[in-house]
Amino acid sequence: MSLIDTRDLYKIYQVGDVEVKALNGVSIAIEKGEFVAVMGPSGSGKSTFMNILGCLDKPTCGTYILDGIDVTATDLSKLAGVRNRKIGFVFQGFNLIKRTTAIENVELPMIYNHTPAAQRHKKAMEALEAVGLAQRAYHLPNQLSGGQQQRVAIARSLVCDAPIIFADEPTGNLDTKMSIEVMDLFTRLNKEMGKTIILITHEPDIAQYATRLIKFKDGQKMSDEIQTPTAAKPASMEGL
Amino acid sequence: MIDSFLAVFKISLKAIFANKMRAALTSLGIIIGVAAVITVLAVGSATKKSIADRFSNMGTNIIFLRQPWDLDESISSPKDVTMDDVVAIREVEGVSAAAPYIQTSFDVKYKNTSVSLSALATDTDIFKAYDWSVDKGRSFTEKEIASYAQVMVIGATAAQTIFGDVDPLNKTVVLSNIPFTVVGVTKKTGSSGFGFNIDEGALIPYTTGKVKLNSGWQSSNRRALDRVVIKVEDFNKIENTKVDIQNTVRNTHHIHPLGKDDFQLDDFASFVEQAKSTATTMSLFLGIIGAVSLIVGGIGVMNIMLVSVTERTREIGIRMAIGATSWNIRLQFLVESVTLSCMGGLIGIVLGVIFTLFVAKYMSLSAQLSVWAIVVSAGFSAATGIFFGYYPAYKASKLTPIDALRYE
Repeated sequence: MSLIDTRDLYKIYQVGDVEVKALNGVSIAIEKGEFVAVMGPSGSGKSTFMNILGCLDKPTCGTYILDGIDVTATDLSKLAGVRNRKIGFVFQGFNLIKRTTAIENVELPMIYNHTPAAQRHKKAMEALEAVGLAQRAYHLPNQLSGGQQQRVAIARSLVCDAPIIFADEPTGNLDTKMSIEVMDLFTRLNKEMGKTIILITHEPDIAQYATRLIKFKDGQKMSDEIQTPTAAKPASMEGL
Repeated sequence: MIDSFLAVFKISLKAIFANKMRAALTSLGIIIGVAAVITVLAVGSATKKSIADRFSNMGTNIIFLRQPWDLDESISSPKDVTMDDVVAIREVEGVSAAAPYIQTSFDVKYKNTSVSLSALATDTDIFKAYDWSVDKGRSFTEKEIASYAQVMVIGATAAQTIFGDVDPLNKTVVLSNIPFTVVGVTKKTGSSGFGFNIDEGALIPYTTGKVKLNSGWQSSNRRALDRVVIKVEDFNKIENTKVDIQNTVRNTHHIHPLGKDDFQLDDFASFVEQAKSTATTMSLFLGIIGAVSLIVGGIGVMNIMLVSVTERTREIGIRMAIGATSWNIRLQFLVESVTLSCMGGLIGIVLGVIFTLFVAKYMSLSAQLSVWAIVVSAGFSAATGIFFGYYPAYKASKLTPIDALRYE
């Protein structure tokens, strides 16, 4: 059984009298350990797809089975636990909580699954070490660079041992050097920790890190190909 | 679980202290409300107690017997209140003292000093009735009363005024050209009885006053008394005792069973009750004003919490994305508003206590800080936090993660 299995997902918004089909029958299966990049122009439905996969939103119809759980049949309010245990999120805007230190941000998901304080601290520290930020544990987000903030967010996505990481434009707010750092980190997490990574991006360079590339257009899957990842080339760096 | 709750509590504290000025202003309403409720209730109950004290000095278990000033004209031959009544009343069950009472003012001369003094012509039962006691010297004896002796027991303040540092005992003073020997000084009471302040007055035997000074009730009867001061043993049985006294006096006055009373019995019980209930109404009224300001403070808390929820929509989205349930979010905001209002409540209690002590000091009321008021206002401020924090918290918890995350 696939880790992620969607069948005929539709997401239809009613805008005035017009029906907008953000997703128009998407069926995709993703196996454990894959590194998938999802690309597409804005309005292609990739973000909607991502939100549904991340259990942040529900499809209008269709089924979505996540690690054996029928998400579409589960009440949205009960999905908090699913998000907590199965999914780690990394966002474009980092989405760290202000006025809260790096380690407190990383501990946060464990507060919601009632991990004891001592263990919370230990695991958070380990996660920060894994992203190379242990020495910045007590810095506030605004005392960290964008790349560091994103690595804190990645550490946060790791602490609950979720098998899947959803990364929504994770390099969108980062310069090339930091982007490379972050993407290398994702690659490591995929290879060394076996995390399933689903990455949304509109940058072909970034998509190159993935082992599979899915392209969206007009709410539908346009292409779905296995690819050999290549690290960002120095040439493209010069181009930026 | 407790760990997690502590963590949520910490998050809330952090959110509050991130905006100190705002938190302070928000709490201000609660602070003022709680302080007002505590102060008003404390001052209210102090006032009530002070009224009660004043009346109990005067004697709430005191009944006066006297002839009415506006005597019913249908009574053809009214009898004066005399010692016969006093003697009879002393036998009534439940009466612990009955004293004759004739009050007059005199100029009292001692050497070159002349002081206007209120003198009470009475007998020794007056000490029992009013809980007075003799500090120096003695009271008058039965023999002195029977023999119209010109003796006087003088009040502590009056003694000081007239004699200064001289020992007043066995000194002679002159009242209306009649010399009196001071045989005793009463102990200072510090409060005035009803219409007669013993500290600044003097006591003489009723017989002497009546016969030699010709004072008192303008009656041809040389035995007539102004009134009789009666003390009952048990305040709670005052109504029954009053009926017994009434029957006794009707008997001594030989009133026909169908005839009307030619006397009246006054007691302060109803008067005290009324004064107390006025004080209660007053403090209730002021307490309501305090409560209203608490409610207004609560609305302030709600307002700020709503702003806070809106401001932190994105944060709510993040929390939801990483696994916070609606309940977690609701709890966080509820804890925040309860903490906010409880901090206000705590400061309010401290201020209320300070105000109360201040008011007590400058209004010479005994501070009656009621634990009850403190507990209630603490509870009320927590309840305010829950009640007015619930809606904002509910609103926050009802956000969908995706909408909250998209919020800019």
